[in-house]
Amino acid sequence: MGPRTAGLLLAGLAGVVLASTGAPAAAPRHVAPPLPPVAGKDAPGLPPLPEVSPRNASYTIEARLDPEKRTIAGSLVLEWRNTSEQALSTFPFHLYWNAFRNNLSTTARGAGHRAPGDREREDRTFGWIQVKTVRLVGGAEGGGTIQDLTPTVRYLNEDGNADDRTVMAVRTSRPVAPGETARFRIEWDSLVPHGSIGRAGWVHDYHFVAQWFPKIGVFWKGAWNCHPFYPWTEFFSDYGVYDVKLTLPKGFVVGATGRLESKADNPDGTETFRFVQEDVHDFAWTASRRFLERRSRFDEPGYPPVDVRLLLQPEHAHLAERYLEATRIALRTYGTWSAPYPYPQVTVVDPAWGSSSGGMEYPTLFTGGASVFAPPELQSPEGVTIHEAGHQFWQGLVASNEAEEAWLDEGFTTYMEAKASDHSLGPAGWGRRYFGGAGRGGRAGWPVVAPGVAIPRGSESLVDLREGGESDAMAKRAWTYRDEGSYSLNSYAKPALVMQTLEGLLGEETMVKVLRTYSRRFRFAHPTTEDLIATVNEVSGQDWRWFFEETFFSADLCDYAVEVRSDPARTPAGWLEGEGGRLELKAPERKGRRGDGNRFESRVTVVRHGEVLLPVEVRVDFADGRTVTERWDGRDRWTRFRYEGAKVVHAIVDPRRRIAIDVDPSNNEWTSDERPARRAATKWAGRYLFWLQNLLELHTVVG
Amino acid sequence: MLTALGSGFRALGRNWGLVVLVLLANLGFALLLAVPLSLQLEGDLANRSASSGMMYDFDYDWWAAWSERQRGPSSALAPDVLGTGFAFRNLELLLTGWLPAGLFARGDRASLDPTILGLGTLYLLLQVFLTGGLLGVFRAPQGGWTVRGLVHGSGFYFGRILRVSLLALAAAGVVFAANAPFARWVDGLAREAVSEKTAIALALGRHALLLLALVLVHMVSSYAKVLVVCEERLSALLAFLSSLGFCARNFLAALGQYVVVLALGVALLFLFGALDARLAVVGWKSQIVALVLSQLFVAARVALRLGLLASQVELQQARGR
Repeated sequence: MGPRTAGLLLAGLAGVVLASTGAPAAAPRHVAPPLPPVAGKDAPGLPPLPEVSPRNASYTIEARLDPEKRTIAGSLVLEWRNTSEQALSTFPFHLYWNAFRNNLSTTARGAGHRAPGDREREDRTFGWIQVKTVRLVGGAEGGGTIQDLTPTVRYLNEDGNADDRTVMAVRTSRPVAPGETARFRIEWDSLVPHGSIGRAGWVHDYHFVAQWFPKIGVFWKGAWNCHPFYPWTEFFSDYGVYDVKLTLPKGFVVGATGRLESKADNPDGTETFRFVQEDVHDFAWTASRRFLERRSRFDEPGYPPVDVRLLLQPEHAHLAERYLEATRIALRTYGTWSAPYPYPQVTVVDPAWGSSSGGMEYPTLFTGGASVFAPPELQSPEGVTIHEAGHQFWQGLVASNEAEEAWLDEGFTTYMEAKASDHSLGPAGWGRRYFGGAGRGGRAGWPVVAPGVAIPRGSESLVDLREGGESDAMAKRAWTYRDEGSYSLNSYAKPALVMQTLEGLLGEETMVKVLRTYSRRFRFAHPTTEDLIATVNEVSGQDWRWFFEETFFSADLCDYAVEVRSDPARTPAGWLEGEGGRLELKAPERKGRRGDGNRFESRVTVVRHGEVLLPVEVRVDFADGRTVTERWDGRDRWTRFRYEGAKVVHAIVDPRRRIAIDVDPSNNEWTSDERPARRAATKWAGRYLFWLQNLLELHTVVG
Repeated sequence: MLTALGSGFRALGRNWGLVVLVLLANLGFALLLAVPLSLQLEGDLANRSASSGMMYDFDYDWWAAWSERQRGPSSALAPDVLGTGFAFRNLELLLTGWLPAGLFARGDRASLDPTILGLGTLYLLLQVFLTGGLLGVFRAPQGGWTVRGLVHGSGFYFGRILRVSLLALAAAGVVFAANAPFARWVDGLAREAVSEKTAIALALGRHALLLLALVLVHMVSSYAKVLVVCEERLSALLAFLSSLGFCARNFLAALGQYVVVLALGVALLFLFGALDARLAVVGWKSQIVALVLSQLFVAARVALRLGLLASQVELQQARGR
């Protein structure tokens, strides 16, 4: 066969393929179903929406960044109101950047991405914060010194690490009475670490500055809550008003928590930016000369309008609209399912290459993360944007204790991110990146999307759960998990699946009411898991504690499976009562001739492989078109349903896929139809064959 | 160079049966693992609704749980065999030193089951064996071959061709060894880049350089094999050195052959990707169409390799004296 013949054959085959299938080259565009109406400020049946936070920890900060020396010189006045019933004279403050001071800190002694080994560590990755003076001051402007607290500074080490400097405490000679406001003036210097390890830091002229000022702990449940900076924990602080002036050399584009109140040129060639935000519990900021700025406005019926400001890396300019649309999706969906975003602005930051600041949330500002090559199927940057924007509604507005109950923030956000992405974008595709070399996480390299593969909501979390779900009970203080992987699983994936399961069992309407009630009742209020459970019980009218005992407070896995056996119905044989009640012997039928072919004895066995006990539904379909739905409390190891009559052709446990936390949904369904198995097997073996053939041929390149 | 290419592919065209032979060998090797996989999948999917999901689409939940349980060659079944993903996956395996037999791998994340690596090594040995016979066919200006003649020729030259291949492997080892610190240096530059675009260019660039180096090694070893057969060289080492000289003197032509063949290969890949995207593989008919399409692709790939070999004979005969 010559080349011409081969070419004609190939062309002919191509024509056959193109003519024989109407398969579209691209999947149809996802259309989001309508959302329920957003619940406004005075929505009936829901708690009123607080407009103002307690504002018991308000900061007025002035800071100067020297980008050449990588230093910040700062001073602050903290107005702290004692909202407890105890008089207090000891006041702890977080000094988070001292986690990067040396390799002796509690963070450095741990494991995970925040604690690289000495061999991977460079000098520039060290940073610190050094408090110079602490004074108790009086007057509305904090002018007069009541007491110099600097001599009382001591470092607290609840974990026994005397070298850790991430928590300092000062002591006043006169206690601060309940209801009284103390004003602290603190001056400090800090060295900004290189941003390749921790979330704060510099990379070239990009600065991301977070957890950067001395921040007072939270007096909570009768005691100070101010933990050291453990290797993978996050944050907890009180609400207040932040009024921050940032001075930098001219030419930087600056983004920060809050609204820009003013910008002033200084005689020394610097500029001072003043940002103000009420009712937040933290303040972060960023500066870079390379930022591109894009603006959008979220203004939809029922929602307060929000100005969205996007600070973008130049090489990601083509992703601007995707970032903005993802932010709008979050504002729309989260606002509907919980309570609307109350602040007038939000800043989205696209982090610089080489920075670890991506994928993190701060009040009214969050960081995303993107790659130049970003196939829409992989939903990046959409996924991280929806996730981090979602944190505004949980960490930002209810501010649970992330160090002690990380799942209340990360788990809620992950659950709602999956819900929002599934609603607005449809399932994500599956892809891999190749030839990445350098780069953080999975964003580097050339992406290749596997055509026709969709990842259902929650499926990737199931992979994590199967792998490590039994390491730790979900509800633990974050630093007590076995390792960072267990922390991640039990803060993100598992609680997200648990919440998705709760949604399945309660029904979406009730779940939305739970979320709305919880988010409104506990806005600005530091809720706990018990508050969540109480809210679920109240809204549903039932006691759901058993559910949380099975999921939140255990390390057990959930796995229900179904097995089916259908045999032709037996023909009676043996000694049987005949006419007149006489016993008559009827011989059994020969093998292979049992029954009349249309009657079957079927057994549907539902097995509990895992240790989590959840009630399940079982749907059984018969050959005559009949369907039966059974219910089982799921407590024993197995249960069995028997049927006589038409053959069972299909059985499924949890037909409505309500139990998202079932780690192996593939064993939930049984079918009598064996034809697809062979066809599926040859189809995928054929793909495997093709891949392997090409791999074998590629061997001839070497040798 | 183009003349040599044309002559080479015409010579291949006259002996198209060689493509079929190599294709059958390739298919036979691959079936050794694909058939057991098919039987295993049939058993694992039996009576599971995922069988319908996998028949029509790709059931991610089923595959994720199933793949976690796999040890051995079946663990390689993943969505990246779909579309053109197989080419990227295989190329990454090559460039991370996993071919052949993981000889040059340095604990990289991508890895292959030892059975697959072993099969690949055996396949490589078979191709080394056949090379002598193939070159003998291309050397004869009138073409024509028999299986017996091919095997006889392959056996006759096998020792020398094998030694050349071992020298090529050693050279590849040097390339990978030299690449390791170079890659670390480039990756360090990439990490320090201001822009992601610079980092991407550096990362892709160093992979491209590695590929180029491997192509150059292949070029020298391939011409060495041509010299062994066409000039009846007895010493593999001297043939290798002579090949170095030949390639240096005719660098553009020799490299140009590879450029053309690689370009054709990339075009073939895109064509396959386009056709594959439009083919909904469900029932037996569509599976047969898919199988034929895939085998045509592999055959075309084999044809490109053999055509290159034949054109290298042509170029050597035209410029070698």
